[in-house]
Amino acid sequence: MTYWIDILDQALIFSIFAVSLNLLMGVGGQVSAAHAAFGAVGGYAAGYLSQKHGVPFGACLVIGMVFATVVGFLVSLPALGLAGEYLILLTLTAQTIVLVVISSVGALGGEFGLAEIKAANIFGKDLVRPTDFLPWLAIFAALVWAACWAMGASSFGQVLRGIRDDELATQALGKNTYRYKVAAFAVTAGLAGLAGALLVYYNGIAAPGLFGFDVSMSIIVMIVLGGSGNLVGALLGTAFVIGSVGFFEKAINLNPDKASLTRLMAYGIALVVVLFLRPQGILPEGAGKALRRRLRDGRAAAPDEIAAAERADEERETAAAQAPAAAMAPAAAGGGHDGPPAALTVAQPAAPAPAPTDGRGAVLELRGLEKAFGGVRAVHDLTFSLPRGETTALIGPNGAGKTTIFNMITGVFPPDAGHVYLRGEDITGMPLHSVTGRGLARTFQDVRIFGRLSARENVALAVPASANGAGVRERVGEKAARERAMELLKFVGLERQAEVPVAVLPYGDQKLVSLARVLATGAEVVLLDEPASGIDARWLETTLGLIGELRAEGRTVCIVEHNLEVVERLASHVVFLEQGTVTAEGTMDELKSQERLVEAYFGMA
Amino acid sequence: MVVATFLGINSFREVAQLFVNGILNGAGYGLLGAAFALILGTTGRFHFALALNYALAGFLTAVLESDAGLPLGPAIVVGLAAGVLLSVLCEGIVYRALASRAGVSTLLSVFVASLGLLIAGQNAMNLLWGSTTRSLTGLNETTVHISSVIFSSFALALLIAALVLCGGLEGILRRTGLGRQILAVRVNPLMASSVGVDVGRIFLIVFAIGGLLAGVAAIFQGLRFATTPDMGTKPIFYALVVAFFAGTHRGPLFQLATGIAIGMVEAESTIWLSAKLSSLVVFGLLLLYLSETEIRATLERARRRRRRPTATARAAAGTATLR
Repeated sequence: MTYWIDILDQALIFSIFAVSLNLLMGVGGQVSAAHAAFGAVGGYAAGYLSQKHGVPFGACLVIGMVFATVVGFLVSLPALGLAGEYLILLTLTAQTIVLVVISSVGALGGEFGLAEIKAANIFGKDLVRPTDFLPWLAIFAALVWAACWAMGASSFGQVLRGIRDDELATQALGKNTYRYKVAAFAVTAGLAGLAGALLVYYNGIAAPGLFGFDVSMSIIVMIVLGGSGNLVGALLGTAFVIGSVGFFEKAINLNPDKASLTRLMAYGIALVVVLFLRPQGILPEGAGKALRRRLRDGRAAAPDEIAAAERADEERETAAAQAPAAAMAPAAAGGGHDGPPAALTVAQPAAPAPAPTDGRGAVLELRGLEKAFGGVRAVHDLTFSLPRGETTALIGPNGAGKTTIFNMITGVFPPDAGHVYLRGEDITGMPLHSVTGRGLARTFQDVRIFGRLSARENVALAVPASANGAGVRERVGEKAARERAMELLKFVGLERQAEVPVAVLPYGDQKLVSLARVLATGAEVVLLDEPASGIDARWLETTLGLIGELRAEGRTVCIVEHNLEVVERLASHVVFLEQGTVTAEGTMDELKSQERLVEAYFGMA
Repeated sequence: MVVATFLGINSFREVAQLFVNGILNGAGYGLLGAAFALILGTTGRFHFALALNYALAGFLTAVLESDAGLPLGPAIVVGLAAGVLLSVLCEGIVYRALASRAGVSTLLSVFVASLGLLIAGQNAMNLLWGSTTRSLTGLNETTVHISSVIFSSFALALLIAALVLCGGLEGILRRTGLGRQILAVRVNPLMASSVGVDVGRIFLIVFAIGGLLAGVAAIFQGLRFATTPDMGTKPIFYALVVAFFAGTHRGPLFQLATGIAIGMVEAESTIWLSAKLSSLVVFGLLLLYLSETEIRATLERARRRRRRPTATARAAAGTATLR
């Protein structure tokens, strides 16, 4: 019995490692091959203070966590700005460095580690046997599971999911993704430190072997096997990896050496097999939600999300067939996609900013922008303004630099020269999230939705208040964000698909979700990159109606668009671009009256 | 001499010896680094299981020689062939299939799968052949003396083999049709495919070459020291350091030169540090190198912020906070 309690104790400790790494890797998409190293930092800090200075158990745990958090924070600063393969490399490097240090420093016991760590003492009772540890490890583990679950379910977790699915799109919603990643890295390193400290107390020794590279690999295996992004999956993976020790030693009766080798070989193979058969792990992210929805809806056939998407399609087609005129009417007039869009009666975006400072009614000004890619000059001496409250269209032949201009305005890449002013403030080269935070939001040519999140979660992520505050204040903020998201989904006619993962929605609906998402930022200036591309007449009319609504609310809209009918219908101000510079500007009628443009562009467009 | 004493150097002979040791050890790092960089740079696969290709080639050769009584020559041929075959199978059976369904998360899927292959492979070798350390004994090692510096003939042979292999590969990449195809795939696989290059075949060839380079490095490890089923774990870390320091898109000779430079830094650092801590210098330098990009980006952001109007000026300009 003691044998199995020992296995259970170890599983509880490793569940802390796994659940915390799951938050970072499964939810946030940030690979760390150094999780055991952060455990080593916490474990050695606790072991050293306990053995050398007689610091009490509770204080050692806290100090171990703090040390690991600080080291995790420091490692994350350079790591999280790096591309995927460099992040893997840097965390592998961190793992190596920590191990070399702990096995080389004499005060930490070198290769042999720190032996005879004082027994953990809780309420005057020494924890010596596995049975002594069991209830306390269960409590620690449960607290960490609860904390990780709460973080994963909070707006913080939603932003991490956004980063995982599409970091640039998350920045476009005003989120400083770097800070979120650093916070996640530091917090999860701290939790690994706690697990490391518990492991040291449990074994009575702090040795390099407890925190080797193979341990980091094992923790990754637990997550990938159990289900990346799913807390229960991480627990399942832990049970599989740790429990397999008992299986091979007791159930199959192999000697401990052979059992260990067989177990490691088996979970190496299992890892590859699971990647093939169930890339998301045994319990994929959202499996619980999907099951609950199925039980609630009494459906057991095809995956409910796909069924929902199909049903939505059918309903739309029926509605379109029954009321073609309504389906084609602008949304503002009450027709359109999936019924009439609701008016935005509450939580309207902020009122337009005070009168512009330049006295010309421009809310956004571009002055002398230059951009070259290698030897190719994409934008040259570009100067124009967006009049406040109007819709401006950027048109021109392919390669004229239209999307490049959006990218320069929003800081996706900085211009080589020139300035961008938003309400008189120089925002040149500011990070995308800062630009969005100042009231200028954008969409992308490809919709860049967060496919695994529901429509509501996609939109709620963009509500500025959704990640502010903590505790009760955060929960209130989240509630408000959910309500705001539902209003916007109603506005674009997608309230019925609110809980459906966006990946299974038709492309036209995905475009509407991306539009609702950009509206949720509350931005006064909205840049829409080819809003009409790739969608058919039903969604087109809805989209155009919604853009018209934006202008009616007083927002400033700028679209990049090839469809001249769309431009004619929406834009009061048109900027014609050729080879990265403005060659004509005015109303559509004024541009169409220019013979050169008719011959060069309008005639063939 | 005063300066040398101040720097903690006992004798210049020691410095020269460490210098040569660094070059010879670095040749092994460079060879494995060139293999890793060729694979990652061309295919985008983070083939951590290169450590397994390395271990299989070295350990199987030793098993064939010591347990099966095969002469060293044939044992090496079989060991190298097994390493190359395993490398090709990793791509052909595992990575390719994963990449076709993983989409944007291919890098992570391949990395995790390669961890799985490494864990499974190492332990399978342990189960099959035991974990006893084996050396390759079929050749006699001699000691080479140059002035007061001494080194093993095997180490010199490793340096020569590394130069020949990396130089030969450089020549293939620069001067042959196959090399041009590899470079084309490295730059843009889609474009290469659209002009008739069989990208899948190129991936397999690249994995085969990588497996061969790793296998040769492992054979020399077995000749100079010993082989074990987990002998690949430490060298793969050095290969990563070499590949990322040099840049994964640089040629094999540059990788080799980087490996030698790293070997020299590591060796010379033992003047001041223990042998164990000397590896810390290498990894510490890599950490600084990787951090440097982020530090530069942070400084650039700060510089841009300084260029912008102050908060007061912004307030005067009428900045409004939305929502």
